[in-house]
Amino acid sequence: MLSDKAKKEIEAALKKYPNKRSAVMDALRIAQHDRGGHLERSDMEDVAAMLEMNPVEVNAAAAFYTMYNIRKPVGKYHVQVCRNISCSLLGAEHIIKYMEKSLNIKTGETTPDNRFTLSTVECLGSCGTAPMMQINDDYFENLTEQKVDEIIKKLV
Amino acid sequence: MATIKINGKEITVEDNTLILDAARKAGYEIPTFCYQADLMGIGSCRMCLVEIEGQRKLQPSCITPVLHGMSINTDSSTVASARAGVLEFLLANHALDCPVCDKGGECELQDMVHKYGPRTGRHAEPKFKFHEKDYVLSQVIIKNSNRCVQCMKCVRVCREVVGRNVLGALGRGDHQEPTSFNRTFLDCDMDGNCIEVCPVGCFMRLPYRYKSRPWDLKGADTICPYCATGCRMVIEERDGQLLRARAQLGVGLNSETLCARGRFGCDFVNSAERITKPLIRHQAATWAEALASVKDGFSGKEGKHIGGVAAATLTNEELYLFQKLMRTVFGSPNIDSSSRWNSDAASAFIHAASMNEGGVSIFDCMEADTVLIIGSHISDENPVSEYIVRRISSNRRMNLIIASPRAMKLDSSANVKLRHLPAAEKAVLDAITLVINAGKLSEAEKLKAIKDSKMVDLLTAAGVGVDEITDIAKRLSASQSVAIVAGTEFLRFPDGTSGLALLKDVLKNLGKKVTVMPTLDRCNQRGAWEMGVHPSFGPGYATAEKGMDTEALLEAAMRGEIDALYVVGEDIISDYPDREFARTALSKVRFLVVQDIFMSETAKLAHVILPGASFSEKEGMFTNQEGRAQSIRKLLALPGKAKRDLDIIRAVGELFDGSFGPKNAVLVLDEIRQVNPMYSDVSLLFNNKKNSDNRLDNRAALVKCAAGVLPAAGEFASKAVSSRMEEHSFALVTGSHLFHLGRFSRKSETLLGLIKGATVEICEDDAARLGFVSGEKVKVKGKNHEVLATLKTSTGSKSRVAFIPESFEDAEVNRFFRRGEGVPRVSITRANQ
Amino acid sequence: MSDKKGGIDILDLIKKVLFTDFVKGLRITLGYNVSKSITHRYPDEEKWIPYRRFRGVHTLNRDEHGRELCVACELCVKACPTSCITVVPMEDDTGRGIADRVAKIWKVNLVRCLYCGYCEDACPTRAVRLGREYELACADFKCTVRNREELLLPQPVPESIEGGLVAKAKFERSLSGIKVTADLSATKKRAW
Repeated sequence: MLSDKAKKEIEAALKKYPNKRSAVMDALRIAQHDRGGHLERSDMEDVAAMLEMNPVEVNAAAAFYTMYNIRKPVGKYHVQVCRNISCSLLGAEHIIKYMEKSLNIKTGETTPDNRFTLSTVECLGSCGTAPMMQINDDYFENLTEQKVDEIIKKLV
Repeated sequence: MATIKINGKEITVEDNTLILDAARKAGYEIPTFCYQADLMGIGSCRMCLVEIEGQRKLQPSCITPVLHGMSINTDSSTVASARAGVLEFLLANHALDCPVCDKGGECELQDMVHKYGPRTGRHAEPKFKFHEKDYVLSQVIIKNSNRCVQCMKCVRVCREVVGRNVLGALGRGDHQEPTSFNRTFLDCDMDGNCIEVCPVGCFMRLPYRYKSRPWDLKGADTICPYCATGCRMVIEERDGQLLRARAQLGVGLNSETLCARGRFGCDFVNSAERITKPLIRHQAATWAEALASVKDGFSGKEGKHIGGVAAATLTNEELYLFQKLMRTVFGSPNIDSSSRWNSDAASAFIHAASMNEGGVSIFDCMEADTVLIIGSHISDENPVSEYIVRRISSNRRMNLIIASPRAMKLDSSANVKLRHLPAAEKAVLDAITLVINAGKLSEAEKLKAIKDSKMVDLLTAAGVGVDEITDIAKRLSASQSVAIVAGTEFLRFPDGTSGLALLKDVLKNLGKKVTVMPTLDRCNQRGAWEMGVHPSFGPGYATAEKGMDTEALLEAAMRGEIDALYVVGEDIISDYPDREFARTALSKVRFLVVQDIFMSETAKLAHVILPGASFSEKEGMFTNQEGRAQSIRKLLALPGKAKRDLDIIRAVGELFDGSFGPKNAVLVLDEIRQVNPMYSDVSLLFNNKKNSDNRLDNRAALVKCAAGVLPAAGEFASKAVSSRMEEHSFALVTGSHLFHLGRFSRKSETLLGLIKGATVEICEDDAARLGFVSGEKVKVKGKNHEVLATLKTSTGSKSRVAFIPESFEDAEVNRFFRRGEGVPRVSITRANQ
Repeated sequence: MSDKKGGIDILDLIKKVLFTDFVKGLRITLGYNVSKSITHRYPDEEKWIPYRRFRGVHTLNRDEHGRELCVACELCVKACPTSCITVVPMEDDTGRGIADRVAKIWKVNLVRCLYCGYCEDACPTRAVRLGREYELACADFKCTVRNREELLLPQPVPESIEGGLVAKAKFERSLSGIKVTADLSATKKRAW
């Protein structure tokens, strides 16, 4: 269930769009924030009801974008490493492997202390500074092994 | 017009034609997965790539319109290698489990790879899997997403044609999976159109799972035996068991669509409950004994003491022969084709819908500027007609007006939806007529006319607001052509027919083109009337000596005046409004012969029961609601000693007249063509070619105008309900359920799996007011009868209207009705109270 | 051979006197008398064990876990030129077969069959193989149809034996019919 606060936020967001359906991404973002990082089935159903959409359409929108985490709670820090072409050419695969090693988890998993979740995503639009990753809402660019170490140390 | 060159061949096509359509027109085959004429183009599968001169990259032909002067190459080596490449990618993650897959042998991907594909794949990586085991998506769908080619036809057909929108594409790229919300169990229309459009074995039929291979099946191209939409379908059997029914792309007016009843409901023919041998007083007998008994029962009886009721699910040939038997051999004008409504209602409806003026194509109706659907819950009663309306209305600008007490799925496509009280069609139509006429008056007079007390009465009777009626009238006045789709409510409450006729005339006088298309709920109801199975007219609506209809027959039987009654396929007790009356009356019939395929309530009272044939065991012709004569084909052998209905009717005739005939269906058809001018040059040729341009309108099948003119029908007393009611009281309406229609569907295992017990549907607000939740058991209590039913809520229905479908034998809904009374009142309370 | 026409060939005369041709002929005859026999004493004492490539009565096979290999795809039915195979599939996900699709009915009419081996070629899982059983004679038509249960039984001649052997056999006659049982431990190479 969405909290009343989230519902109010979505109501407010609805005003920004020409029709209700258009607000689906914003509404899902609010719902995800409300839940604390991921979306439960009931959240999507609530959003669908508020936006007068069919639940499966909301589900499809949420499943398309990597920024929505469906039904899988994520850690405090959601590390999303870009694996698209520019980043790949500049060593994203290597960064992903290094992340896996240093966090001791596999891609898609969360550390046992619920601190980090590692996932790979498609292009985040920062190809000029590849390889890059996004942790929660911040970009970390021009990654190297040392930089990754520093970032993780800072967060820990 | 644009002139283009395809593979060097010059062709002129309309502007905005897709390259794919143009190439197909020019005779070049372009393979596709995701393209389907009825659906929005998405160009996702890339199989249709073609080379356009002057463009560096190949273009998807299914979403690229032609431009004047284009030169297109569809079979160059570049195109061929592109196709092979696309297929190689599709196979990269495709679970190559063809031996296990139910689609194997009729899979489009198999065919394509065989024709265009790479002979070897280069992908050595492990394949991506959505899931290990097939999962059940609904009672009729089992799904294996690993085989998906992401053509999204399932999602589009569900949204654009069926209008349910319960499927969506989850994920992206090669991980995109078309499925339900969160892969949960679907609660949908169960029509299986997603299965039919799926080119691979991703969506599969659950009832057909691992039953057979396509090459084991023997099929027959036939017509659906449920509603009167007249969907063409192929039924297929293996070892004498009907295994599935499927529709074909570009064949019949339905193309690839069918509803749940048609696609999954035809297994009633396999039922173990079929009557397989003649019975005399419920003891097995031989045909000779049974016929001798029939001869005893009928000989020496006067025509006016004999009656005949033949169901509207028989073929035209059988119905024709039946009325010939009654009229010429028994000398009895007492014949009818329905026990649910009386024959005067039928005459009035035929007159109001101008059915004697020949067939009206539904595609023509949808060309109109305004389409008014009234008296029909088209989404449940004629689902495929509804698909056609939805599909066409989404493609062109037109006014779609729906007037019905109950909410329906098509409402989402409608411009105006009017919720009126049950049985108030006349009030609605009269109010509209009044406002349209008022349009001719000046402003001041108009206001006065609307404020006229009669208008107020009409609005109160209909339970609608003046704004809605004015809106509809405005839309009707503003359009050049109007199509009215009139449903079976006009037969249940015949007072509406005069309103329909009046509106039609008023619109015609205003210089508009008006077409009326009836929607009916028995596969051959129209055929039955046109064959003359009606007490007041003969074949082709020719005037005949007036006889008794079912109602009058029952009344006469009550008085003990009926010596012999011959009932073919009709279950009078279950269908006649007022069950007890029908049962008592029939038990007073001195000799009752019932010819049927199942032991119906009526058959239980019969002295002689003759086992007939189902639609899959005989040849013949059905006339659908539009007036399209279409033939059905024999597929299965008759069970046990059952005989074809035509042969039985002829054998009964031969008992009294040795030359009674004609002898077979073909000869009967010849006679129909001679006797009935409407059918003189109806073409029964199977339009079985796959029409790639998706022209589904087979006009050669439409019947012609009748020779005679039907007399105008009389007025009927209104049976509308007043809107003032107590707290728990509801106006009860009945009709067909989406999954059940008539009695056949109640013997279909698959359909019974979808819904078994009766439901009562009320609107959400009423349920909330009374504190009911959907799915709970409630007690529906009327004056004469009470039932326990599962409550179902609907959004947007008229308040204070309860709906119980008519097919459910556990509800016996006709017990609520009492002869001569209108809409019954019922109270709904919790089951345990 | 003679170089002198008209005269008497001395060499010829000597041959005739010494019965050389007779002795030659006799040598072949007597040679067969002492050589190894190439006929088998079937069914009383010996039975021919065919090579693996032999196409005899069909067998249905299992994988190493004992699951049926047949997925009832009916490709054998499609491939069969004489339509002698009938397959009806069913769903069974209890692990009976390698997939959840297994055969409810799998039967072959051995009288119609012409042992062409197309079914074997068509089979995607190598479930149906033509085995090494060739004794088809029977007293009624019922036993000309073999169904799944019989075909799934382990083969009397295991796959490990290469074949091309003559095994010691025993001929048994009982009320239920005749039977030739081979003793696979006592085999010999065939004689030629």
